[in-house]
Amino acid sequence: MVKVAIQYITRKFCRYILSFFIIITLNFFIPRLMPGDPFINILGEEFYYADPELVEGLKAKYGLNKPLHEQYIAYLINLAHCNWGYSFHYMQPVFDVIALRLKWTLLLLMPSIVLGTIIGMIAGSIAGWRNKSKLDIGVTSTFLLIYSMPHYWLAMLFVLIFAFHLNLFPLGGICSGESEGLEGLIDILWHMGLPVLVLTLFNASYKHLIMRNSVVQVLEEDFIVTARAKGLKDRAILFKHVLKNALLPLVTIVALDFGFMVSGTLLVEIVFSWNGMGTLIYDAVIARDYPILQGCFLITAVCVLVANFLADIGYAILDPRVRGER
Amino acid sequence: MRAALTVFNKIGFLRENKTAFTGFVILSFFIFIATFAPFITPYDPWKHGKPFFPPSWEHLLGTNDVGQDIFSELIHSTKISLFVGFFAAFVSMVVGTLIGLISGYSRGKLDEIMMGFTDVFLLIPGLPLMIVLAAYLSPSIWNIIFVIGILWWTTTARVVRSRVLQVREMAFVETCRALGASDMYILFRHVLPNTLHVIFAKFVLTVAGAMLAEASLSFLGLGDPMQKSWGTMLHYAFSRGGFINNMWWWYLPPGICIALSVLGFVLLGYALEKQQRFLS
Repeated sequence: MVKVAIQYITRKFCRYILSFFIIITLNFFIPRLMPGDPFINILGEEFYYADPELVEGLKAKYGLNKPLHEQYIAYLINLAHCNWGYSFHYMQPVFDVIALRLKWTLLLLMPSIVLGTIIGMIAGSIAGWRNKSKLDIGVTSTFLLIYSMPHYWLAMLFVLIFAFHLNLFPLGGICSGESEGLEGLIDILWHMGLPVLVLTLFNASYKHLIMRNSVVQVLEEDFIVTARAKGLKDRAILFKHVLKNALLPLVTIVALDFGFMVSGTLLVEIVFSWNGMGTLIYDAVIARDYPILQGCFLITAVCVLVANFLADIGYAILDPRVRGER
Repeated sequence: MRAALTVFNKIGFLRENKTAFTGFVILSFFIFIATFAPFITPYDPWKHGKPFFPPSWEHLLGTNDVGQDIFSELIHSTKISLFVGFFAAFVSMVVGTLIGLISGYSRGKLDEIMMGFTDVFLLIPGLPLMIVLAAYLSPSIWNIIFVIGILWWTTTARVVRSRVLQVREMAFVETCRALGASDMYILFRHVLPNTLHVIFAKFVLTVAGAMLAEASLSFLGLGDPMQKSWGTMLHYAFSRGGFINNMWWWYLPPGICIALSVLGFVLLGYALEKQQRFLS
């Protein structure tokens, strides 16, 4: 029994390693194949104003004057040693800059995914169960409308309403400064409120639509008719038969949706001037700081891969067919 | 075949399906505005004037930082926003359809490799890669279309493939093969027409995604500075003080337009997808 699960996970693991290599290779070739001076593409636009000695040192380190295959090997070795390039804009190695920002992005991302998934699941189950009722139509159309908005625009709207007019939340930033300890923690939570609310709504809207569809489909299955014919109570049918079958696909959806949520978080951060990767990317776009942009792409790709792998393990634990029980 | 016919028999479908009808009305409205934009705009959206005017009868939505009439900008932007959405979705539809068709029809090793490739693409976080690519390329709407198009085809490829797997087992395809028709002939004369309704529904949903992607890229300042779209309007409203100074008439209207038009595509797309499940 365990053997089947281990086989399944090993197979998945190999897939992710392969995906990781493809992404790394893509990241290697993009700056070298894009139009323009490859040195600018690799080192960023501001390297012209930098110390020539530093530039030469970097060229040697990344093997930029060598043939392509040697560059590729140098690139792989550097990646493994956390040498992801050098940002002339920040005068720091890319990895250090990103590592500092990543945790703030994850701080917004994680609660939003958890809350959004829970809300979306509950709302979706109720809407699917009471399919075509007034409640379903009301909730589903609200979520559809949210789903259609650009993330950052809803964030702007919420700042206008809740921060500017109602004064319930701060306009932006991570904390007000001075305070430390418990007070500082509360301060950060207060600043997190609005961005997390916006992201939760987006995540919930997506999960709601998936869950509702899934429940509606399960309701049409034959075994539900059988359950009704047996005289089972509505609640028993909902919890024992419908939700059990509708929940499983959601595990994969949560993982696949992770990348989409990262993108949303990046944009929402900019509106709230939240000092995470989103504002980092925004500034890097303006400064044409390519090493930072590529580093951000790489780190988000790694996060998405890890999330999907974890979901696969979760799936193996939850699904009896994968576990090998029959 | 019956399913393929219904794609061209939209009128009956729209009359019966409220969701699709709502989507259709919203989209017709925006397409009408985009087509007749030059006749509706009261001012030239590029003409400079007095900056930072609040809304008035003269300027319905005020003026922006260089004194351009925001209402005229909004109307004018409809065209580019829809255009980029349509074309990017078209590119991804062509790529996705080709990959799905070949993959589903050939099966075996080739199918496995192509679908593995698709899965990797599905895992790549879209926006960060689009940002990297768009930052390297010069800002133009064609590059935006290209960047969105080559990243948005994965779901189309998967849906097309699973439909092709169904169609290729149908009796008439078997008959064709027995009569000695070539693979190419079967693929494009029989399999493709029977997959069109799936492709069409996915296309409509892809336009929605592409429009949102364009809005995000433009918001980051990667849009075409020579063209006006709702996304670039939001970019300027945000970066040139419209947001900080609480000039809601500058940044709310473009967002409302994006949300409504995307909603139109989503409603129509979902209705089409639901109808297919009914038919197949």
